[in-house]
Amino acid sequence: MNPTMTRSRRSLLSAAGLVAFVLLWELALRSGLLPGSLVPLPSSIPQVFWYELIDGIWLDVVRSSLVHYSVGLLLGSSLGITVGVAAALLPRFDALHAWLARLLRPIPPLAWIPFAIIWFGINPSAAAFIISIGVFWINYFASYSAVHSIDPSFDEVAQAFGQRRFLSRLTKVNLPAAAPGILGGLRAGLGQGWMTVVAAELFGIPGIGQRMMEASSLLATDIVVVYMLTIAGLYALFDFLFMLIQRRLLRWQP
Amino acid sequence: MTIAMTTSVTTSITPPSVTTARANSTGPVLNARDLSLGFGHTTVLAGVELALYPREFVAVVGASGVGKSTLLRALAGLLAPQTGEVDIPAGKEDGTRAWSMVFQASRLFPWRRVRANVELGLEGLGLSRAERRERAMQPLTLVGLDAYADRWPHTLSGGQQQRVGIARALAVRPRVLFMDEPFASLDAITRRRLQQELIALRQRTEAAIVFVTHDIEEAVLLADRVMILGNQEAGQPARVVETLSVNLPLDERRDLPDFAPLVQRVEAIIGNH
Repeated sequence: MNPTMTRSRRSLLSAAGLVAFVLLWELALRSGLLPGSLVPLPSSIPQVFWYELIDGIWLDVVRSSLVHYSVGLLLGSSLGITVGVAAALLPRFDALHAWLARLLRPIPPLAWIPFAIIWFGINPSAAAFIISIGVFWINYFASYSAVHSIDPSFDEVAQAFGQRRFLSRLTKVNLPAAAPGILGGLRAGLGQGWMTVVAAELFGIPGIGQRMMEASSLLATDIVVVYMLTIAGLYALFDFLFMLIQRRLLRWQP
Repeated sequence: MTIAMTTSVTTSITPPSVTTARANSTGPVLNARDLSLGFGHTTVLAGVELALYPREFVAVVGASGVGKSTLLRALAGLLAPQTGEVDIPAGKEDGTRAWSMVFQASRLFPWRRVRANVELGLEGLGLSRAERRERAMQPLTLVGLDAYADRWPHTLSGGQQQRVGIARALAVRPRVLFMDEPFASLDAITRRRLQQELIALRQRTEAAIVFVTHDIEEAVLLADRVMILGNQEAGQPARVVETLSVNLPLDERRDLPDFAPLVQRVEAIIGNH
């Protein structure tokens, strides 16, 4: 990045790039360079979005997806942080589960779909379960390495000032010192979870993913694009809100 | 027998004549016998004896790597000795700790504001939030940083951070205060200023101080006794080669004619070992 470029100038250029992309897309379709069966006209998207909205479909599927997402996120994050912190603090537990973690870790969340269906059926729990798996591993590794890399001199300070019990050290040293790393993991999980939502719904659980499959089977590419943009917009919103929380919690950082 | 404090009287700023009258301040506040330290089968330091009395200031000097900081940690009980034992009789007073420590880098918790850092040692002593707050503000005022109580540590200068480190250690009203090269990482001017402040502070605290430093002038400037560690024979663990008493008044000690010769003497002893 050019360091002399001002922030507003940079934003202006970014906006120009986006507009140019959409214009080129529109032009390519109108001139016949791109067949209309492959991608929809950008200018048709707002109207399609409006129809989805007044039919109540948009709100319905977004609401369902948000339920899957938030349950999966909550479950995956809290378990991931708990197990990650525990593994970093308790050497025996660390050793006990090390190989198990190494074995399970490379399995992609979507590979769990068969079990999700067998265990939960085709219902929201199955989607939440699949979402939670990816989120779990991100938070697990972020918390583990965050706690592992805490400056040990903080522990000595805690000891020197009578904070020797496990729980005191956990709440007064380990968690606050690891907070930047743990919050970084949470934020990454926020994105990863949202990306899994669509995939987890593809096999028939009502939500954005299922609606997109429906639309694509009717070759309604404009509806597909509406939901692609919905996903992007909602993610941007969550990420922004989380960044505000993160900044507030880490305001002690220089 | 001990005299319990009935009110939250500020011991740290009571005149010495009152504090020394306490019944439990007559015996040693720290007693180390035949201490040897090391790692695995290697012994780095052996045969340390130290009895420390209230308000006494002992400086520990010696070449780098001789085990000064290790000794300090063993005296504090942060490290287990290979042989011997350390006894720091617990203060019977409520809301105090037997000892506390000032570290080389101030080691404040960056995620706590200044006052919360000073409160660290007061947590778990059964004090109310208001009591903790008050007890933290006293030493902060003593080091001149009461106006910084709500600041984050990273907004303070190195010297200010170290003052907070000292306030944190004083807040628990320790009977023994361990200081591990507390001024080593500061610039010369700040170091001098904090040395003067520490001399003044000694009038206001009854804590005995064990002070590790590699700066011999600093040791002679501040201490009542200078304990010199050194190796008598190569390959043998270090020992206390000599303990010198500094019988000079604390005020303007640096300007006294006996000051420089004493510094040279300590330097010579270290040089010979």
